[in-house]
Amino acid sequence: MDALVAQLQMQYRNYTASLYQQGFLDDQFTELKKLQDDASPDFVAEVLSLFFEDCVKLIGNMARALDQTGTVDFSQVGASVHQLKGSSSSVGAKRVKGLCVTFKEYCEANNYEGCVRCLQQIDIEYKALKTKLQDMFNLEKQIVQAGGKVPQVDN
Amino acid sequence: MTVEQDIDAMDQFPLGMRVLAVDDDQTCLRILETLLHRCQYHVTTTDKAQTALELLRENKNKFDLVISDVDMPDMDGFKLVELVGLEMDLPVIMLSAHSDPKYVMKGVKHGACDYLVKPVRIEELKNIWQHVVRKSKFKKMKSVVTTSGESEGNSDQNGVRANRKRKDQLEEEDEEQDEQERGNEKKARVIWTRELHNKFLAAVDHVGVKNAVPKKILELMNVDNLTRENVGSHLQKFRLALKKINNEANQQANMDSHFKQMSSLKGLGSFHHYRPIPLGSSQFHGGAATMRHYPSNRTLAGMFSSSLPCNHNDGGYMLQGMPLPPLETLHIANNNNNNKAFPSFTSQQSSPLVSPNNHFVPEGHQGFSPRLEINKRLEDWSSAVLSNNIPQSNLHSKPDALEWNMFGNSTSPNLDTTNQTSFCRDTDFGSPNAAQADSFDPLQMKQQHENILSPMTVAQLLRSSSGNERLFMGQQKLENGFMASDTGSLDDIVNSMMTQEQSQAEFSEGDWVWVA
Repeated sequence: MDALVAQLQMQYRNYTASLYQQGFLDDQFTELKKLQDDASPDFVAEVLSLFFEDCVKLIGNMARALDQTGTVDFSQVGASVHQLKGSSSSVGAKRVKGLCVTFKEYCEANNYEGCVRCLQQIDIEYKALKTKLQDMFNLEKQIVQAGGKVPQVDN
Repeated sequence: MTVEQDIDAMDQFPLGMRVLAVDDDQTCLRILETLLHRCQYHVTTTDKAQTALELLRENKNKFDLVISDVDMPDMDGFKLVELVGLEMDLPVIMLSAHSDPKYVMKGVKHGACDYLVKPVRIEELKNIWQHVVRKSKFKKMKSVVTTSGESEGNSDQNGVRANRKRKDQLEEEDEEQDEQERGNEKKARVIWTRELHNKFLAAVDHVGVKNAVPKKILELMNVDNLTRENVGSHLQKFRLALKKINNEANQQANMDSHFKQMSSLKGLGSFHHYRPIPLGSSQFHGGAATMRHYPSNRTLAGMFSSSLPCNHNDGGYMLQGMPLPPLETLHIANNNNNNKAFPSFTSQQSSPLVSPNNHFVPEGHQGFSPRLEINKRLEDWSSAVLSNNIPQSNLHSKPDALEWNMFGNSTSPNLDTTNQTSFCRDTDFGSPNAAQADSFDPLQMKQQHENILSPMTVAQLLRSSSGNERLFMGQQKLENGFMASDTGSLDDIVNSMMTQEQSQAEFSEGDWVWVA
């Protein structure tokens, strides 16, 4: 059992560290983890799921705004991007946030193709992050189920 | 409370500090809430600015501090900062993903105590309580009641010095000063006398309504010991009042006929007898004597303000969009019928009926003619202000909440999530019916009035017109040729008013409201 726990824990450490290294996550995510305690054991998972919900909604808004047959209202797109930037930076979704910054610039430049490209990338990016985090949470669950404690990984 | 007790309380203080957090982004809101809990504050959250305002208005003492996001669909965060500062005078911290200094500057200009950039860290939140302390000290300093405009500056100065001393030595300095300030704490702040207000109006007129920022106004006013904050809050109150009253005027347009009826029913003679509402009569600069004659003005004012009938023009309403003083009495009188106010008035010189066309009749005693000018000015401003403020209605909270919640839960990207702009549209005043429905709700009006407008605001605004002082608009005459003179007894004026009342047509301008 201990061996299993140890193994899982090592797996977990490596996996999480790689997420930081690959730029999926940043310090803010670490901060979020610090806020998780016995009183709110699923805090991080809850916040992240809220975040992904927001992603879906905002990306939908952006898509709709860009899909206008007439003139595209870039400020509208920009508003959604701005909001996504805020929430992604708050959860530590580094790549998503980076894309938002670029996206915003395209909006301000009224660059339609640039915007569309960013939108596609953001869509891919948040989904990828979602999958990775789900894997990470699963590992956490397994560790706990195996009787172990989830190790602290601060990148 | 002695100073020592103050300090003790402060030791405990940051714990349990009541914070209201507003952010339309649920992710950020959740994180913020947790961070604040971690700091051991007491947290209330909402994702709508409207809801936040309602919560704040419900009970002014319910919160110590407000943290608000800048970009929100139902209301601009800066606007919220202004309103909270105006109405409740609570410290507001802005929160935004914009790190651009110009936003920070904007936040400061609108009165924010601090500006945090997302993502917020817990270290930043651990010290926000300082703003609450600072604000309450500042309040003490400002709460000086004076009878003359000039001395208020000095009092402020003394107050400032006293506070600093106390702060430095952490001892009870002057018992008297302490008590005085504590006593004043409950009262209003800087008293805007006629003179002061005139200067204010002059400055605003000079820069133009759109450019009216506290700093410029302060410079133009060139009054010693007046702070930018004083001017800022005064300006905001002014604007708010304009907007409010204009909104209500629009909505109450159809109350016109109702009031006409009521007036005639009252048979109180001419309901055109309106005296300029002596807002905060107790503070009426140099007009105390006059005011006493009409103690019921408050009721009347209250009655009128909320029941302002139609102003055929646009928002020429009682005080042209100025908030009326004893707002508490507003709805009470207004809601049911004006009857309540009438009996008390009959004992007065004339009958104060709400006229479909509000007119200000200069009272003469105080030389109210300047009020005409003020009101004209307000009228202009209110339309200007309104046009800028329309998208941000305070009245439509419910429909928005429902819609917002709806798609908050949806995971389908195709869900027709309302765009932010459409939200604004919903709250637009473009739907006068809805607006009217809301505004006619006595309770709602009551809430708006009670909490938004401070009793002294309008009084101060009104009082600012002194003698024959001219405002930028220049002398304006009443339609009925009623030029206020500084002399003449009240009786004379009232009598002459009575004769004039017969011609209702003259009141069609709706510039002035007579409150008898």
